[in-house]
Amino acid sequence: MRWRVIGLEVHDAYFNMAADETIGKAVKEGRALPTIRFYKWFPSAVSIGCFQSLEDEVDVEKCDELGVDYVRRRTGGGAVYHDSNGEITYSVIAPQNMFPKGIRESYRLICGMIVDGLAGIGISAEFVPINDIVVNGKKISGNAQTRRDGILTQHGTVLYKLDLQTMFQVLKVSGEKISDKAIKSVEERVTCVTNQADVTEENLYKSLLDAFTKDREFEFGRLSEEERSETEKLASYVYSTRAWNFNR
Amino acid sequence: MIAVKLDYDDKIRKVVITGDFFVYPETALREIENAIVGSSANETDAAMREKIVAKVEAAGAELLGITPEAIVSTIKMAMK
Repeated sequence: MRWRVIGLEVHDAYFNMAADETIGKAVKEGRALPTIRFYKWFPSAVSIGCFQSLEDEVDVEKCDELGVDYVRRRTGGGAVYHDSNGEITYSVIAPQNMFPKGIRESYRLICGMIVDGLAGIGISAEFVPINDIVVNGKKISGNAQTRRDGILTQHGTVLYKLDLQTMFQVLKVSGEKISDKAIKSVEERVTCVTNQADVTEENLYKSLLDAFTKDREFEFGRLSEEERSETEKLASYVYSTRAWNFNR
Repeated sequence: MIAVKLDYDDKIRKVVITGDFFVYPETALREIENAIVGSSANETDAAMREKIVAKVEAAGAELLGITPEAIVSTIKMAMK
């Protein structure tokens, strides 16, 4: 099966999340090939899992003050701060029958590509079920998957560099104030590429691209005009709305 | 991590289960919540758990990072 690869693009949170849904629909309807895309977020944003309460997880006022967007994903999992300059995000969108039937196995398969991508820049990482990738026990990538209408969508981030100061301001950490102790605690549990290797973000991206396309028949492509139009509408009428983002 | 938003008097009128877990299919969580609505506020843990398990099985659902026991325990703690 041939894949479409949409190379690194930068969009806002609403477009990024809408694109996954639009592409899923296009793949299902045979209008698009199974797709792998890479993207960054501008402005920086917080995404929350579909079962989370936005107000419980995100300091909305601080986000508004800092110009950080916030969006609810269609996937479960936790709240993630997407630093415009700090990470690369991927999505894999394809018929679910192209993947193992077991959810855990499919997480392992797709996350294995990230492990390979990190190995390509000299970072030894391992997959930790259900959905994490760690380096020496510290998380460097989180991932989330949904399966709807026969389409598997998995997306995740690879942390290039950490901005803990902003992250602590926009994410509500239960009962914890921003303190040196709190920051140190996170530094013991989370890492990033620049903490592990002297590589550029471009090299990280190229290595991830190689890992995700290895042994795959693929072509580089972009969103079709129809997909782009649908994505923009979905971003505007759903993903950027209070009704969607504050629905729990 | 799981939390609940609860409306109840002598019965549970509304429950919203929130957290960083995964439910497949995602729609099964609403079905679990609906199964809990109408339960007596004094319902035993076992009875509430049974309702949740029945709904999970009927939906063919898979829960990751959340269990029926954790849901029951969180709801009961919220009512104390």
